[in-house]
Amino acid sequence: TPRHATPSIPSRSLPARQPANVLEEARERLHVSSVPESLPCREQEFQDIYSFVESRIIDGTGGCMYISGVPGTGKTATVHEVMRCLQRAADEDEIPPFHFIEINGMKMTDPHQAYVQVLQKLTGQKATADHAAALLEKRFDNPAPRKETTVLLVDELDLLWTRKQNVMYNLFDWPTRRHARLVVLTIANTMDLPERIMINRVASRLGLTRMSFQPYSFKQLQQIIMSRLNKAKAFEEDALQLVSRKVAALSGDARRCLDICRRATEICEHSATGLVGMSHVMEALNEMFSSSYIMAIKCASVQEQLFLRAVIAEFRRLGLEEATFQQVFVQHQALCRVEGLKPISVSEGLAVCQRLGACRLLLLEPSHLGVMQRIRLNVSQDDVLYALKAD
Amino acid sequence: MSKRKVKNDHMPVGECITQVQKILRERLCHQQLPQKLVGVEAQHKHLLELLKRTAIHGESNSVLIVGPRGAGKTMLLKCVLRDLLEEKEVQKNLLQVYLNGLLQTDDRIALKEITRQLHLENVVGDRVFGSFAENLAFLLDALKKGDRSSSCPVLFILDEFDLFAHHKNQTLLYNLFDVSQSAQAPIAVVGLTCRLDVLELLEKRVKSRFSHRQIHLLSSLTFSQYLDQVQAQLSLAHDFPDTKFAEDWNAGIKTLCEDKSVEEVLQKHFNSSKDFRSKHMLLMLCLSRVSVANPAIKPADVLEASRLCLADAKANMLHGLSILELCLIIAMKHLNDIYEGEPFNLQMVHNEFKKFLQRKSNSMYNYDQPVVMKAFEHLQQLELIRPVDGSLAKTQREYQLMRLMLDHSQIMESLQKYPQCPTDVKQWAMSAFG
Repeated sequence: TPRHATPSIPSRSLPARQPANVLEEARERLHVSSVPESLPCREQEFQDIYSFVESRIIDGTGGCMYISGVPGTGKTATVHEVMRCLQRAADEDEIPPFHFIEINGMKMTDPHQAYVQVLQKLTGQKATADHAAALLEKRFDNPAPRKETTVLLVDELDLLWTRKQNVMYNLFDWPTRRHARLVVLTIANTMDLPERIMINRVASRLGLTRMSFQPYSFKQLQQIIMSRLNKAKAFEEDALQLVSRKVAALSGDARRCLDICRRATEICEHSATGLVGMSHVMEALNEMFSSSYIMAIKCASVQEQLFLRAVIAEFRRLGLEEATFQQVFVQHQALCRVEGLKPISVSEGLAVCQRLGACRLLLLEPSHLGVMQRIRLNVSQDDVLYALKAD
Repeated sequence: MSKRKVKNDHMPVGECITQVQKILRERLCHQQLPQKLVGVEAQHKHLLELLKRTAIHGESNSVLIVGPRGAGKTMLLKCVLRDLLEEKEVQKNLLQVYLNGLLQTDDRIALKEITRQLHLENVVGDRVFGSFAENLAFLLDALKKGDRSSSCPVLFILDEFDLFAHHKNQTLLYNLFDVSQSAQAPIAVVGLTCRLDVLELLEKRVKSRFSHRQIHLLSSLTFSQYLDQVQAQLSLAHDFPDTKFAEDWNAGIKTLCEDKSVEEVLQKHFNSSKDFRSKHMLLMLCLSRVSVANPAIKPADVLEASRLCLADAKANMLHGLSILELCLIIAMKHLNDIYEGEPFNLQMVHNEFKKFLQRKSNSMYNYDQPVVMKAFEHLQQLELIRPVDGSLAKTQREYQLMRLMLDHSQIMESLQKYPQCPTDVKQWAMSAFG
């Protein structure tokens, strides 16, 4: 058995090609992975976290902090930046040296794996979850000379929830020990997570040092893109504004904003004009935000469209939003006659119904119910009527 | 030399037919890739460019291909990969990982499969060592060590993507998308799904990491294009060994597609669905009637094949029932008419049947209760009737409430075709309210 396998991906035989023109360069910079040295628009949050961690490191005490915010607002990136700056300060002997380790709830198969990962990142030891918990307990409980402060970043905290909540309890209890010298930074999406899922003794140990990241406003999003592009002239001013306004109105997610810009550069490349303009951005926005249901209905076959019309007709007749296949099928046959098509058999009708159900235009009961299965629409009736009327 | 050529040009008919069957079956059943995709050029270009950027520039991407079943999603992807791998720069620099939501039903199996297909160092032969947690950590470490310019790009293909969204916590999807959005080994995640609402299945943090690129495969095929496709699909290529036969065959196909009755049949199929698979099914049924005695597809073959495709399954089942069972079905139909679809039990059905018998002078169908019961149970086994609730044990079988799983049109239709149906039974079925 391979005991000392080193994790690695094979390397490529030819090196990757470097960007050749402005658009390609812009695309590389706009990729979400190319995080800039300093994040724009998060100076205040940066300062708060920095001073919190710095003071704990200098005092040699421990503490907890809870950071919340919707996805794509720069939580993890800001914490990483803080740690980079502190590391630099430690290297220059401005503050005492410290350890930084990070775990992510989503990157574990089970909440108890948190112990294993923390232990492995602290000491390089491998152990089972229970053993690792005991070792960590001992480490944080006992005084040791020349102990460094440890900064632990726990991402996606809500996934560490267990029924007895012992993982969370331990994570928040260790910093309160006298000799632990542990700073725990926790990140999650919802603001009221401590009140909602934690029992009192866990929530009280987490403490009240909290910070929430607001969604980006359109000005901030614009600034983020500008700073990423860094003088590379690839976008028109108005195009950027449109993207940032659209995204800010929907979610304020910076990832979305960057993805749309990147898609716009691709569209621009096809049309072979120099700058990414309004039309390209509009097209990218449409591609990413528009719902495809209407297009799907328009492209459906004649019988499928007829079936949707039959569903709506039956809903109107019943005054309900639900009907059995049998009822709809009667309407369908009538519509077939009106349209001058040959009526289809029940088997065929069921096949049409299943096809619509498979792409989730309809919501169906399990198919073994046959003609008795109940049908509901997954789109609004207006959408269906609009799609069927347009042509 | 010339002798051989002559021999090549005129093979015996039997051999030609074997060749035709082989070539066309390859095309229809094995989903052979076409030389050129028709109608989806834009989607092809988009996907090809995207994967090319991953393979050549090391840019990480994620994309979903969405389209109804049988719309050619896998074919599009395969065509793109074929075109992509023709480039020398790509050939040695791309690792591919295929996952299918139907096979990799949870993250544990999926992770093992990924590790195995990537040949990471904890794989010996075909076995993957380590626990689930270790495998995940190992894979993530491996991906984290890579970087954009020097490590091999990995292409993850997730077929039946929507099933991956049902895994616990969506761990696998989160990690794949997270890698594609951070400075680690370059990966491209391509998902294939037929659900239009697939993004609503994703958790918020997973959704935020997905790049929201969707390639929709919705066919806006017209009937004339459909006809052309049928013709192209049945025609033989120029490299068929016997040129004379190929010419005759192609001419035959051309006249076949221009035939009015064939066109009508194809129109009917086109109206009911536009997907490739049902078309292939129809053509396959036509092809299977070609033999030495019948060396070309005739309009009659197409009509017969279409009849097979469109036959109503339940009505066919009714043809195989005995008279007593048929009478019970008719009694149920009347009960449904009288009580407007309320469920019934065996006693009610039997009473209804007895009422019919009373009105008749001769009692040819005067069966005992156990015989009727047996027939009733047979109908239940065929799933022509269904218990209303699943509790089979609680109530006695005679009093268990049932529903009829047939449409009335099916009953009437199959009565017309029932071999030697007694006239009085037919009349009883026609008469309103028993």
